[in-house]
Amino acid sequence: MNNYFKGGYFSAVLLPAFLIIRFIPLSGQVPADTLRIQIHAVSGMQYDLVRFAVNPGSWVKLVLANTDDMEHNLVIGRKGSREKIVAAALALGKDGPAAAYIPIVEEVLHSIQVLKPGEADSMVFRAPRSTGVYPYVCTFPGHGNIMYGAMHVTNGVMPRLAADLHVPEHRRKSEEYHHLKQRPSGHPYTLVPPYHYRVLMPDAGPAAIAVCLSKDLAYCWDAGACRLRYAWEGEFLDLTDYWTIKGELHAKILGTVFYRDQSPFPLRLGHPDSIPAVKFKGYRLIRGYPEFNYLLNGTEIYEWITPVEKGVGLVRQFRIREAGRPVWFVHGSGDGVVYQSDKGQWAENQLKLDPKEAAQFTLTMIKTGQ
Amino acid sequence: MRFGLFILLLSFCSCRRAPESEPTDVSYRVETIRLPEGLTGETGAIEFLPDGRLVACFLRGEVMIYDPKKEDWKVFASGLHEPLGLLALSESEMLVMQRPELTRLVDTDRDGKADLFETVTDDFGMTGNYHEWNYGPVRDTAGNLYIGLNTASEYGIVMPEVRGTLDTTLVPGKPLQKFAAVPYRGWIMQLKPDGSIHPFASGFRSPNGLVIDDLNRLFATDNQGDWVGTSVLYEVKEGHFYGHPASLLWKEGWGRGDPSKLPVRELEAMKTPGSVLFPHGIMAASPTQPVIDRTSGKFGPFAGQFFIGEMNQERILRVMLEEIDGQLQGACIPFLDGQGLIKGSNRMAFAPDGSLWVGHAQHGFAGDLGIQRMVYTGRAPMEVHAMRLQKDGFELTFTQAIHDTVSLNSALFRLRHYYYEYHLKYGSDQFDVQPVPVNRIDISSDRKKLVLVLPEIKAGYIYELTLPGLVSDAGTGLENKLICYTVNRLVE
Repeated sequence: MNNYFKGGYFSAVLLPAFLIIRFIPLSGQVPADTLRIQIHAVSGMQYDLVRFAVNPGSWVKLVLANTDDMEHNLVIGRKGSREKIVAAALALGKDGPAAAYIPIVEEVLHSIQVLKPGEADSMVFRAPRSTGVYPYVCTFPGHGNIMYGAMHVTNGVMPRLAADLHVPEHRRKSEEYHHLKQRPSGHPYTLVPPYHYRVLMPDAGPAAIAVCLSKDLAYCWDAGACRLRYAWEGEFLDLTDYWTIKGELHAKILGTVFYRDQSPFPLRLGHPDSIPAVKFKGYRLIRGYPEFNYLLNGTEIYEWITPVEKGVGLVRQFRIREAGRPVWFVHGSGDGVVYQSDKGQWAENQLKLDPKEAAQFTLTMIKTGQ
Repeated sequence: MRFGLFILLLSFCSCRRAPESEPTDVSYRVETIRLPEGLTGETGAIEFLPDGRLVACFLRGEVMIYDPKKEDWKVFASGLHEPLGLLALSESEMLVMQRPELTRLVDTDRDGKADLFETVTDDFGMTGNYHEWNYGPVRDTAGNLYIGLNTASEYGIVMPEVRGTLDTTLVPGKPLQKFAAVPYRGWIMQLKPDGSIHPFASGFRSPNGLVIDDLNRLFATDNQGDWVGTSVLYEVKEGHFYGHPASLLWKEGWGRGDPSKLPVRELEAMKTPGSVLFPHGIMAASPTQPVIDRTSGKFGPFAGQFFIGEMNQERILRVMLEEIDGQLQGACIPFLDGQGLIKGSNRMAFAPDGSLWVGHAQHGFAGDLGIQRMVYTGRAPMEVHAMRLQKDGFELTFTQAIHDTVSLNSALFRLRHYYYEYHLKYGSDQFDVQPVPVNRIDISSDRKKLVLVLPEIKAGYIYELTLPGLVSDAGTGLENKLICYTVNRLVE
């Protein structure tokens, strides 16, 4: 079973809640060889453990911990009874909450009541003597047709996961629970560069824009900070995790980052040490390439980024029509590129442009070492 | 999934509606709209253009336009960040609420695709937490726009870089609760026509559904969870607080630290009650967008009433409101329960022809994918048309006369009351669940109205009524028998 906790440090918050484990009172002794099964209810409306095997008639202690952000229960039913149990639970209607959505039908063998987020509970039961596959399912309204698993009562081994029709189809790929994998792209069109994506990106603010310039060149622009953050060569993004659950995971960069802006902020108006206040005004698509529009201390900037014609690099075309003062472009050291400009005067890592030059200038950044 | 070199396909599959049958014994039929091949049908928003074309946003970033006559989909925009709200100003200009911004999409060169993406507002914080979804915009008669900003989840992250001032007073939510680490999470914001943005009302947990009614009143739904005992429809008024304390951190002049540490009674006294509560797991587990029936009968006999989406069950809800002593309250009842609607009814819109379209989503929750529409067949349904509170009971008006009133027996009307508690802990049990006897039933001379006379009615309770199998003169059985009325105020 994999560790599912998303935020890492949040697990420390959750764990104390799991100590509130309630034991079902039992008559008689629970043997020492009781099989302990731990199941988490996890994001994406899944049990992290999608199946397990027990010997006929053996003792099982099943612990359910709800680490999701909504309520879940767990009902074990007779062979082939999942759909009937789910329908009976839904039919409880107004009596559902009081019954913890567990219907009183003969198909229900064992159950754990509804757990709120952060709660855990357990039950001890004896596995059926008859071999076969016994479903377990969350019967909260709306969950039962995707949130289920299989208890294999067997003296042998379970079938191959890929061939196990008792677990949800998307869970037949791996014994470990990873996020629900979706089909490729998921768009009604084929993506041809240039194109862009608003997604959560690593090493940027949360209002990021990833732009695929060509099949092996891309960059990340930060709409919150109003600046180019980094560029990479190679394939664009793996969005599998990002698209899966609720949009809480970053897109993964598939290529290698060759440029990363190391300056506090690259453009300065009026004074080379003046870090401007920014405001994002949007972008326009020109031949598919976004031209960003933003304000620096109230002065309107347009920045259009295209790939260099040869090699690896970016062409940044700026328009600052109402600069009124000199404009500096200041870059950090070791940011991975060599700079060229068609206007202005360079002094080490500072390019100075007079207002007339700033009205339209081009900065070319070529990957170092080419 | 890897994006490599591809060929752009501008044409889509022929998109036909699923085959339709014309059953005559139902009042509404449900049709499924065929989506273009390859699209992930996670619907974030739907709205109609005046010419009858549908505009739909999908959570992987598309804005698409569907022509129902040609059954043809076209891409208007792509690459947006979880768009969950839409206001289509014209076929070439649309406001889209995405995760980082409210954006004006404009097709300036009239080639059918947006080329200009102007920020209308990004004056709100974001931490990268998955739960910080944004909703709206809706527009009032004065031209003000309203957007809803979700709180962040204690099960999600705060990115190393955030947008907006970070206040970690409530991060990461100890004890477990949603939080507002940046402004103005948990608020509904007002954008004035002059472009200025104002924090309008606070106390929301997840207001996934805004609407303005014909009296220019703003409504929002909120979702059961911490501080929300059961899901709810609010009338949203300026300056009011709706119960989830996280947002109070960003109230002007707030100097009291962690708002969730205030005495619950004090918070409760500040809180504006919901107009209609949706008993959790009974009516709904996750209500979504309200729409108002302005079809003048094209969608059946419910003109002026609210329909509200629901994620977890194969139904939507219908809401009947009335004002008692200056406070809105009323009833909710399932609509089209188990009749072909799939789960995940996230967004709804009335088409010009009076059909009600539903965009479905799941996004990691209970739900489904795709778009359906509900069409009124013209066969009058037998339904509760209105439920009103009276001084000594409830008046029920039916859409058709009740055929056999002689056999009406008050013992057949099962009524109970209960309430949900306001507290930090996730959700709420039902408290003081008690059967309520029906003393007497009065019947109007036209047999369309019943008055259930009760020994006592208590404010602050939900009255849950299960009706018997009433039949109309036309032989139509009562479609939905479970109805819940939220009593905020009593009739004096």
